[in-house]
Amino acid sequence: MSPGNTFAAELRKAATLPASGVAAAVALLGSSLVTVLNSVSARVALDAGRAEPGSLTSPFELGYAAVPLGTVGAVVLGVTVMSSEYTANSADAGGGRQITATLAASPHRLRLLLAKALTVVLAVAATAAVTIPVCVLIARLVVGDAAPETVGPQEMLHRFLGAALYWTLTGLIAFAVTVFTRSGIVPLVLLTVNSSLVSFSLLLTNVTPLAHWLPDMAGRRLFGGLGTVEGGLDTVPGAIVMAVWTAGLLAVAAAVFARRDA
Amino acid sequence: MSPAAAVRAPARPAARLLRATAAELAKLATLPSAVAAVLATAGAGAVVSAALAWSAVDAGESVSAVAALVRAVPYVQAGLVLVGVLAVAHEYEGVQVRTTLAAVPDRALLLAAKTAAALVASALTAAATVGAATASAAAVRLLLEAGPVREAAEPWTAPGAVAYLALVGLFSHAVALALRHLVPALVGVLSLVLIASPLLGGLTEHARWLPDRAGALLYDPADTVLTAGTGALVLLGWTALVGCAAAVRFARADA
Amino acid sequence: MITIEQLTKRRGGRLVLDGVGFEARPGRVTAFLGPNGAGKSSTLRVLLGLDRADGGTALVGGRPYRSLRDPLRTVGSMLDGSGAHRSRTARAHVAWVARSNGIPRGRVGEVLERVGLADAGRRRVGRYSLGMGQRLGLAAALLGEPEALVLDEPVNGLDPEGIRWMRGLLRGHADAGGTVLLSSHLMGEVAGIADDLVVIAGGRIAARGTLDEVTAGHPSLEDAFFSLTGAAGPGGAGGAEEAGR
Repeated sequence: MSPGNTFAAELRKAATLPASGVAAAVALLGSSLVTVLNSVSARVALDAGRAEPGSLTSPFELGYAAVPLGTVGAVVLGVTVMSSEYTANSADAGGGRQITATLAASPHRLRLLLAKALTVVLAVAATAAVTIPVCVLIARLVVGDAAPETVGPQEMLHRFLGAALYWTLTGLIAFAVTVFTRSGIVPLVLLTVNSSLVSFSLLLTNVTPLAHWLPDMAGRRLFGGLGTVEGGLDTVPGAIVMAVWTAGLLAVAAAVFARRDA
Repeated sequence: MSPAAAVRAPARPAARLLRATAAELAKLATLPSAVAAVLATAGAGAVVSAALAWSAVDAGESVSAVAALVRAVPYVQAGLVLVGVLAVAHEYEGVQVRTTLAAVPDRALLLAAKTAAALVASALTAAATVGAATASAAAVRLLLEAGPVREAAEPWTAPGAVAYLALVGLFSHAVALALRHLVPALVGVLSLVLIASPLLGGLTEHARWLPDRAGALLYDPADTVLTAGTGALVLLGWTALVGCAAAVRFARADA
Repeated sequence: MITIEQLTKRRGGRLVLDGVGFEARPGRVTAFLGPNGAGKSSTLRVLLGLDRADGGTALVGGRPYRSLRDPLRTVGSMLDGSGAHRSRTARAHVAWVARSNGIPRGRVGEVLERVGLADAGRRRVGRYSLGMGQRLGLAAALLGEPEALVLDEPVNGLDPEGIRWMRGLLRGHADAGGTVLLSSHLMGEVAGIADDLVVIAGGRIAARGTLDEVTAGHPSLEDAFFSLTGAAGPGGAGGAEEAGR
C-alpha cells in the first residue's frame, strides 16, 4: 500500500466509525446547545437591562464560551481512531480485532501511525472549522443587535486558530496515549477531566509550579480571552511546549507501536 | 429430565431478584476493568484530597479533612461515572448480552437487578473513595502539623458526599442503559457533568436543575431554591427519566 | 419439546421469517438447515426471547422463553460462540450464569470438566481459540441440566476430535430423553447425527420430516439440500449475511 492509499484507508475507517459521529455530535451539537442556552440567557438579561458591566455579551464571546466542549470531541476522535482497532467484534473468543486486518493491509507501521495521526488532525480541524463558526453564528442570531461586537476580526481569527490548534494537539495527545493503552477508557476519562475546571493538571499547579509545563496547562492560553488562572507560560511559548509534548508522545507511541506484537 | 430440576420449587419474585442481582454483582466483581475503575477511583480520591489539603495548608488556609473532601468530590465523580457506565457497556462489548438475556429473559427483572447491582457497586465505590479522601487529607494535616480548624465540619457532609457519588453512578448507569455503548455514554455524562454543567452554572441560575448541580447539594448545600433533600430528588428524577427511556428501549427492542 | 408455529419476523421492511413452523421432539436430534441468511439464526433468536416475532409463537415446553423462571434449567442454548466477555475468565463467566438461575456453584466445575476446559478455566476468554469458545458456550448451556438444548452451529471451529465429542454428547442427550435442536450448514455433520430435519430457505420452511423422508429421492443429503433450497452451489440463494448479531 502506498502512503496515499494508507491515508485514504484510514480516513475512510474514521469516517465510517460510529464513535466519530459521537465526537462530532458532542462537539457540534453540544457546543451549539450550550451556545443557545448561553446566548438566550444573555439576551434575556440584556433586554431586561440586567447585563452586568464587563460580562461577556458580545456574540463572539458567547459562542466561543462553548469551545471547551469541543475539546472533548477532539479527545474522542483521537482516542477512537486507535481504540477501535482493538475492540473485539462479535467473535468473542480468540481474535476478531480490526488491527489484524489493518496491519495485513498496511504492514509498514510508522506509515500507518502517521496516516492515523494525519486523520486525527484532519478530522479535528474539520470539526473546529465547522463548530466554532456555527456557535458564533448562533450567538449572533440570538443576541442580534442587543449587544455590540467587541471583538475585532483580527482577534477573532487568532482565537479561532488558537482553539483549533489546541483541539488538534489535544486530539493527537489522546491518540498517542491510546497507542500505549489500546483501550480508550483511560485516555477518555483522563483527558476529559483535564479539559474541565477540575483538571488534574490545574490541581497540580497548586502543589508545584512545574505543572505549568504540562501540555494542557502550557497550551491553555491559546484560547485567549477566556478567564484562565494566573501564572504559567505565555501564549506562544506555551503553544510550543504543548506542541513539543505532542511530538514527543507521538514519537514514543511510534517506537512502541513499531516494536510490539499486534 | 434431571431429578434436581423436577423437584425444585418455583422461586418467589424477591428471591429471583436477589439471585439476579447477585449474578450482576458477580459479573462486575470478575470484570477487570470494573475492579480497576473502583480501585483507581478510591486511589484518585486519596491523592486528590491529599493534594488539596496540602496546597490549602501551604496557603495558610484553615481547611478540615472533610472540607478537603468536599473539594475533591468533583474530581472523583468521573470514576463513579465510569463504574456506572461499565456495568452496562461491558455487556455490549462482544455478545455477552445474549447470555445475560438467555439467563434472565424477564426484561423487567433484569433491569431491576442491573439497577440494584449498579447502586450497590456505586455506593461501595463512593464509600471507599470518600473514606480514602478524608483519611488522606487528615493524614496530610497531621504530617504538616496544621493548626486546629476554626469552623466545625457539618456531620452529614461525608455521608452526603457518599450519597451524591452513589447517585451519580446510578445516573450514569441509566444513561448507559439508554445508549448501550461505552464511548457515547461515558463521553456524554462526563461532558455534561464536568464541562457543560460548570459552563452553564456560570451563565444562568437555571443550571441548578442540572442533575449533578442539584445532587451536589447533598454534600455542599449552597443553593437558595433547592435543599439537600430536594436536590437529591432532582437528581433521582433525571435518573428516573433517563431510566424510563432506557427501559422502554430495553423491553421493546430486539437484543 | 420445542414448538414453533407460524413465525413471522420483519427487519427493516424485509420479511426474514415467513410462517415458519416445526417441532423438535424429545429423544430426537432435530437439525435446522439452510443457507446463510435463510432465517436460521432469526428463528433461534425469537425462540430464545432475544428478538420479538411480528407474528406466531415459539414455545419451549408449551411456554414462551421469556416467561420461563430459571430458563437455563429448561433450555440450554448457545448462539455462535461463548457469549462471554473477553476479559473475564471462563470460570467467572460460568459462575455468574449459574448464580443468575440459582444453580449450585458445584455445577461450574462439573460442566467445565465435562467440556474439557477444567485446566483452562482460569484463563481469560479473549485468549481462547474459536473451538475453546465453543466449548465454553456449551458449558453454559449444560449448566442447568436442561431438558432441551438449542445450539447454533455447534461444531463451528471445533477440531475433528471436538466434532466427534460434540456428536457423542448430543446423541447422548437425545438418547436420555432430551430434546436437541441444532442449526448447521455442514451437511456431513448433520447427516451423521440428525434424526429429524427442518430445511429453511428464504425465510420459509422448504421441507421437514425424518432424515429419510427429507432425503428420499435424492442421492445424498447435500443433493436434497440444494434441490430444496434452490441454492445451486456458489452464487445461488443466500445473499445477505444472516441478520442476527
